[in-house]
Amino acid sequence: MRSLVIPGIIALFSVVIIYLALQLRTSPPLIVGASMQPRSFPIFLMVINLLLVGIMIWQNLKNPPEPVKMEGPTTWISIGLFALFYMLTTYADFFIAIAAVVFLLSVSWGERRLLVAGLVALTVPLTLFLIFDEVLKIRFPRGLITNWYYG
Amino acid sequence: MYEALAAIGSVMLDPYLLMLIFVTTIGGIVIGVLPGLGATTGAALLLPFTLTMSPVHAIAVLATLYVSATFAGSITAILINTPGTSAAAATTFDGFPLAQRGEAGRALGIAVVASTIGGIFSIIVLCFAAPMLARVAYEFRPPEYFALTIFGLSMLASVGAGGAVRNLIGGIFGVWLATIGAERVTSIERFMFGNYELYEGLSFVPVMIGLFAISELLVQSKKAHLVAEVISLKAVKLPSKEDYKRIWRTIARSSGIGTFIGILPAEGATVASMIGYSEARRWSKNKEEFGKGAVEGIAGAEAANNAATGGAMVPTMVLGIPGSGTTAIILVGLMVHGLRPGPYLFTEQVDTVYQIFGAMLVANIIFLAMGLYAAKLFARISMVPTSILWPIVFALSVIGAYSLSASLLDVWIALIFGVVGFFARRHGFSVAPIAVGLILGHMVEVNLQNSLKMFDGAWWLIAAQPLALLFLVLSFLGLFGSQIVKMITKQKNS
Repeated sequence: MRSLVIPGIIALFSVVIIYLALQLRTSPPLIVGASMQPRSFPIFLMVINLLLVGIMIWQNLKNPPEPVKMEGPTTWISIGLFALFYMLTTYADFFIAIAAVVFLLSVSWGERRLLVAGLVALTVPLTLFLIFDEVLKIRFPRGLITNWYYG
Repeated sequence: MYEALAAIGSVMLDPYLLMLIFVTTIGGIVIGVLPGLGATTGAALLLPFTLTMSPVHAIAVLATLYVSATFAGSITAILINTPGTSAAAATTFDGFPLAQRGEAGRALGIAVVASTIGGIFSIIVLCFAAPMLARVAYEFRPPEYFALTIFGLSMLASVGAGGAVRNLIGGIFGVWLATIGAERVTSIERFMFGNYELYEGLSFVPVMIGLFAISELLVQSKKAHLVAEVISLKAVKLPSKEDYKRIWRTIARSSGIGTFIGILPAEGATVASMIGYSEARRWSKNKEEFGKGAVEGIAGAEAANNAATGGAMVPTMVLGIPGSGTTAIILVGLMVHGLRPGPYLFTEQVDTVYQIFGAMLVANIIFLAMGLYAAKLFARISMVPTSILWPIVFALSVIGAYSLSASLLDVWIALIFGVVGFFARRHGFSVAPIAVGLILGHMVEVNLQNSLKMFDGAWWLIAAQPLALLFLVLSFLGLFGSQIVKMITKQKNS
C-alpha cells in the first residue's frame, strides 16, 4: 500500500491539472488555425504522466521501494522557519526576516556560539543588502528598516 | 578559426574579465570544496550577481564557476572522502585511499593536472565542434526542433539520480510548469489562479534557486551534526615522470570520453567520470590497485568530469538544450542577458561565444595554479560548519530570487520549489529533470504548434522529415533501447 502513495499523489495531481485544463477557454479556430488549443498541450502532458504513473506502480509492486526515513527535527524546523520568514517579510521587513531566519537556522542546526550566529545573521544580510543596493542598484522591498533607510 | 583565436586572445587583454575569471575561479573552488554546494547550486546563487554585467562577462563568470567547481569537488573527495560535487564521486574510489597512505599531495596533483588537460581538451573540441554543429542546426525548422527537444527530454531518463520513469515524470512536470502563464498565440491564461505576476510565466531563476539551493539546504539539514574525517595534507606536487608514464593514456582516453558524453544532451560530468573511471580500470595493467589508490583511477575520473564541462556547453549553446542542472542555469543566464541560444548565436554573437570559450580556457589554467599551490587552504574551507554555511546560502537564495525582478513572489516561488524539490528528492526523484523540462517546455510547445501549422494539422508529417525522424528514433532507442536489448538477449538465451 505504501508503494502506491507517491504514484497516487502524482496521479491525483495529473487529474487535477487535466480538470483545470478542461476549464480553460477555447480559442476561435481563426486564431488557432491548424494548431492546438491552449488546453491541449497540458492535457497531453498529463496523459503521458498518467501512463508513467502506471509504469511506476507496476515497478513499485514488482520491487517495493525502501521505506523513506522520517526527517529529523532540524529539517522540519528549517521548513517552519521558511513560514516564519514569510510572516516576518509580510508584516515586518525583508531585512529583519532574513537576519532572524539566518540566526534561528544557525542555532537550530547546532551552532552553540550565539555571538557567532548573531554576527553572521547581521553581517551577511547587511553585506548582501549593500551589494544589491549600492552596486547592483536593486532596492529591497519596503518594510520597517528599509522605510527608514530609503526615507 | 582566426576570429576564434582573436576573440579568445581578447580575453587576455581585458583586465576586468581576467579579474572576474580569477575571482570566480577562487569562488568556484570554494563552492566546489563545500560538500553539498557544487557547481549547480553555486551557479544558481551567482546568477543574480551577474545581472548588471555585460553578457560576455556574465556568462564567462557562470562558465568559469562551472569548470572550477567541477574540478574542486575532487579536493574534498581526496581529503575527506566526501565529493564536493557528484561528478567527483568516482575520485573518492582511489583518491581517498591514496590520501590515507599519506600521499594526499600526489593524489591532488594528479587530479589537478588531469582536470586541466581534460578541461582544455574539451574547450578545443568545443571551438571546432560547436560551429560545425551550428551549421547543421541552421537547417532545422520547427519539426526538427520539436523532435530535437523530444530527444533532449527522452535523455532526461538518464539524468540525475532517480530511475528513468521518475526522471521522465520530473521532466514532464517541468514542461508543464512552462505552460503556466498566458499562452503565446491566444493569450489565454493557464494555471495562473488570478495572479497576474505569472502572466509571462514562471521566472526560471527563482525556480532554479529553489530546486537546487533551497532543496539542498533541506537535504543538508539531515547532515547538520556529521563530522568528517580529515586527512592531513603535506604539499600538493605535480605528478612525477613515473606517474605521467602511467596516466597519460588514461588522461587522453578520459578526455575524449568526457567530451563526447558531455556533448550528449542530458548526460553530464557525473556519468562521464564514472565511465572515465571504469574505462581507466578496464585498460589498466594494474587492475588490482583500483580501489586502493590507483593513480589511473584518479586521472581517469578527473579528466573525464572536467572534459564533460566543455562538451556540455555544445548542446547548450548550439541547440539551446541543456545537458545538466548547471548548463540549464547557464542557458538561463544567456537568455536573461538577451542572448538567443541556438545556431544563430554563432553568426550574430560569434565574438561573444568565443570570448566565453576563452574565459573557460583561462579558468582551466588558473585553477591548475590554484589547485597546485592553494589546495591546502581550500581544503580548510570545507571545514566551515554547516550551521554557518547553510544559513548564508539561505540569505543568498532569497535575496538572489528577489533581485531578478524585485518581486517577493519570486522569493515565495523559490521557497515553494525548495520544499517541493526536497520532498521529490526524498522520494527518489531528481530535480535536474524538472529544471531541464521547464527550460525545454516552451520550445517543445512552440515548435509543436508551428509544426502543426506547417503541415495543416497533419502531425504525423513531423516524422516524415528525415532529421526529425532520426531524432525521434534516437529518442525511442534512448527510452527503450536497453529494454529491447534485454528482450532480444532473453529470447536468444531461451
